[in-house]
Amino acid sequence: MVHLRLVETSMEFKPDQAAQKQDFRQVLVDLAKSRDKKLFMQLYDYFAPRLKSFLVRKGANEELAEELVQETLLSVWRKTSSYDPAKATASTWIFRIARNLWIDRLRKEKPDMLSPLNSYPEVGYTPSMAACDAGRLKDALDALPQQQAQLVYKVYYEGKSHREIAEDMDMPIGSVKSGLRLAFDKLRVRIGGEP
Amino acid sequence: MSCNHHPDDSTLLSYGAGSLPDALAMVVACHIAACSHCRGKIADAEQIGLGLMEQEPVQSMSERSREWMLAMLDEPCEESMPEPQLAVGDDSDGDIPAPLQPLIGQWFSELHWRTMAPGMKQFILPASQGKLRLLKIAPGTFMPSHGHSGSELTLVLKGSYSDELGRFSAGDVADVDPDMNHQPVADTHEGCICLIATDGPLRFKGLVPRLLQPFFQL
Repeated sequence: MVHLRLVETSMEFKPDQAAQKQDFRQVLVDLAKSRDKKLFMQLYDYFAPRLKSFLVRKGANEELAEELVQETLLSVWRKTSSYDPAKATASTWIFRIARNLWIDRLRKEKPDMLSPLNSYPEVGYTPSMAACDAGRLKDALDALPQQQAQLVYKVYYEGKSHREIAEDMDMPIGSVKSGLRLAFDKLRVRIGGEP
Repeated sequence: MSCNHHPDDSTLLSYGAGSLPDALAMVVACHIAACSHCRGKIADAEQIGLGLMEQEPVQSMSERSREWMLAMLDEPCEESMPEPQLAVGDDSDGDIPAPLQPLIGQWFSELHWRTMAPGMKQFILPASQGKLRLLKIAPGTFMPSHGHSGSELTLVLKGSYSDELGRFSAGDVADVDPDMNHQPVADTHEGCICLIATDGPLRFKGLVPRLLQPFFQL
């Protein structure tokens, strides 16, 4: 805490990784009141390229990814008043909006089906407020046995179901599930989840 | 609701990542409405997704996207944005779980149940990935013994049933390993209503259930 204050008041403060990843939680809260476009564009400049790469990894083509990024951030702009800083970090909140828009898009061709509005209700939990340390997470991922890392990759990046993964990797679904279970356990410990 | 049986951690991980077929995701959504234990795990899965996103090399947006974004900020909001509308644990009327109510209304008694076999009725729900159904089993009725070729998630909504894995009451989820054959039986006087999602056809042992399978979309 003391250390942070020193950094903030230091005259020679140079923007670095930590400063770049500022507390967007406060930015969202301020935005709801001020509707300051300049402030919003700071948020945009940080999140747009990251969301784009996330969506491209999920399988969106360049054009669709950009469209969804714009849609996500426009939605952020319009919904700042419903953001509750006690319930989610800014990144978690924005990540959820992007994920739900992506799932929604996958279903657009199938009208009258369930939508993420139904299967992803707003849950009232308070997630761990500790910002996820990307370095520690990467170490934890690197430490996973290769097969478990591959399973995690297929879930998060390829959006595959357990059955699809079982077919891809030619293994029983039971093994897919147990591999994911073990990987989840190890990763959760690293990001500070309760056992 | 009691919640003695939970979805497998691998299921919660996929839900948080947004990769669970939507039939299965709906069962998880109905379970976590009453289970804070699983909500916490899903929050962790979301954190992991976020961490993965943040360690990706960034991909710059095309030249004019910033300008377009700025222009859009002034546009009136013409349609409602996809936003989760339902609060968990919200005490709405009806015995149907809140996440399902926008689709089928509030009361089980108002659904048009279709009889599949003596003592068994079902109601099929729309899902784009996987199959989703409500199943009503009269007290003492045995389901045909079956295995699976994909994932199966069963959430008990009313009553209870028992099978080789134990006893499942309202709020409990059976996340059945596909290699396992099981034969659930409704074991209380009030009968049992379950929400069942599958993402691969069931494999029945008996000849008659196998022959009937196509008719009931199992």
